[in-house]
Amino acid sequence: MELEKKQCDILCVGGGIAGLMAAIQASESGAKVMVAEKANTLRSGMGGMGNDHFQCYIPEVHGDFDFFWKELFYGQLVGTLQKMGREYVRYWFENTFDIVKLWDKWGIPMKYEGKYEFAGHGFPGKQLNHLKYSGINQKPVLTKQALSRGVEILNRVMVFDLLKGKDGSIIGALGISTREDKLIVFEARGVVLGTGGCGGIYPSVTVGANNNRGHPLSVSGDGRAMAYRAGVELVDLELTGRHAGPKYFYRVGQATWVGVLRDRLGKPIGPYLTKPDRQYHDMTIEVNKGIFEEYKNSGKGPIYMDMNGISKQDLEYMVHWLKNEGNMGLLNSLQEEGLDLGKLAIEFQTSDLSVRGGIVANHRGETSVNGLYAAGDEVWGTISHAAVFGRSAGENAANYVTKVKAVDVEAEKKTAIEAKKAQLEEIRARKDGPTWSEASFALQQIMLDYCGQVRSENLLGAGLDIVGRLKKKASSGLMAENAHDLVFCLQTLNLIDIGESVLTSAYDRKETRGLHVRVDYTLTDPLLNNKLHLVKLVEGQPTTTWIEVE
Amino acid sequence: MPPIIDEDKCNGCGKCVEICPNDVFFGSQRGEVPKVTYPDQCWHENACVHDCPKEAIKLRIPLPMMIIYK
Repeated sequence: MELEKKQCDILCVGGGIAGLMAAIQASESGAKVMVAEKANTLRSGMGGMGNDHFQCYIPEVHGDFDFFWKELFYGQLVGTLQKMGREYVRYWFENTFDIVKLWDKWGIPMKYEGKYEFAGHGFPGKQLNHLKYSGINQKPVLTKQALSRGVEILNRVMVFDLLKGKDGSIIGALGISTREDKLIVFEARGVVLGTGGCGGIYPSVTVGANNNRGHPLSVSGDGRAMAYRAGVELVDLELTGRHAGPKYFYRVGQATWVGVLRDRLGKPIGPYLTKPDRQYHDMTIEVNKGIFEEYKNSGKGPIYMDMNGISKQDLEYMVHWLKNEGNMGLLNSLQEEGLDLGKLAIEFQTSDLSVRGGIVANHRGETSVNGLYAAGDEVWGTISHAAVFGRSAGENAANYVTKVKAVDVEAEKKTAIEAKKAQLEEIRARKDGPTWSEASFALQQIMLDYCGQVRSENLLGAGLDIVGRLKKKASSGLMAENAHDLVFCLQTLNLIDIGESVLTSAYDRKETRGLHVRVDYTLTDPLLNNKLHLVKLVEGQPTTTWIEVE
Repeated sequence: MPPIIDEDKCNGCGKCVEICPNDVFFGSQRGEVPKVTYPDQCWHENACVHDCPKEAIKLRIPLPMMIIYK
């Protein structure tokens, strides 16, 4: 396996919205910046084919910030906002309008028909805070902005491990080419993790379609895993979530649909709407994403997103936003089948379980390891969050690197690099052994059976034993036929590490909260309402602690 | 399985190979009609269809992902 060295001040891992915003800002602040992207920044990640809603505060629309702040705490993000803490949330929304103006100037249309348009994710009569924007080309635009500032983008490179110096701070990272057998040693004084969400830990929503998920398999929690191995805390991993979207072509982005949720007989299932409303949408889904599963399991039957009654103008409006929210594949498919979306009632389903918790980072993007920053879905979710905190992480990382000296990473980490190279070569050389997909399915099965919708000390304890065995078998036996399979092997090993930390956290949370249903601790403990549950590696062992939300 | 490339329209520019977020065209060479090496890994986000300058690609949605409607 060939070895290549790359040197920069700041390495952004993942070229999504957070990573590119970090790179743009760090480069503007004078740093030499590289972006390592597993796919291609033009179309990679959850924002790759666009988004249509940008949660933000715009003074001329919302007026007084304090009123906006009060109204913010409704809708699907309320739980997350409470966990972020006030300083963090305030920083987020005080900076969103700057990004709106910036993105609009760069060529991402943030206005609709000449004005700021707010819709979706809002209860009738309440303030709306999701700006509709035409984001289908957001990634090409951000890529262009990064390149124009001298950022070097390395597409088809997967960074999979961080390198720390003697004093425990970041000195670089290791990556591989996804197209050829090559190990890349990065020398960087600052690393910004922005690898996005965490798909692939639990089974997909459909039998036989492993990639039919809200988060594709390529969005595999790499940042969480490498941060965890570097000793950084992960938060609330056990508070797994479920989303909802069209069945069986599953997509996130439910709030773009302008219809009424109705049962098979046409009766609305929620109290909010009786006809399609393009401004507020049917909030029943946000009150309870699990309602589709509940109706199915109780025999009450399917629930449909029913577009009947929508005006021609509102239908065009909805289609425009569906295209910008990454639903072109679905729309094309409906069109090919000759279906009229305006007269259609599409069944919705509750999604697969997914890990929501991420890396602990403050509003400056700092983690507990010097030189390591994290932003975007790596930390908490949503687009405007990724943009604001990506930029913040880039700015602070750029300041940080001016104060620290570079370390010759090849000399300092010679043994570790050689060991990793040997491990990768072994995976590539094996002629017999489990493939990544075997290991991936094994993990999904274990997580569903032992850390799924029913949890207990007995199940979780057994799950920890079993995932430990899987980890041993996978780390010593996986084989990869080519560079592409090697990427998936490393992704799967990352997911196994995260699976282990999810199980550890779930074992230690002795209460029921949301979808973390402990049959041996059925009450929700109010004393934990304002606490975050952290898991980190201490001397190789997953260890949990609780901290107060600030 | 998706994507399906119209060989008569494709000019082998390699755009889809360059941008596919899941690298389903792994191993394809510029100047040739791309091969769909990993169809099961397609996420159907439509990037190749959208960015193909020759409109030579369409997705076939696998039956387990058929859209259910009333």
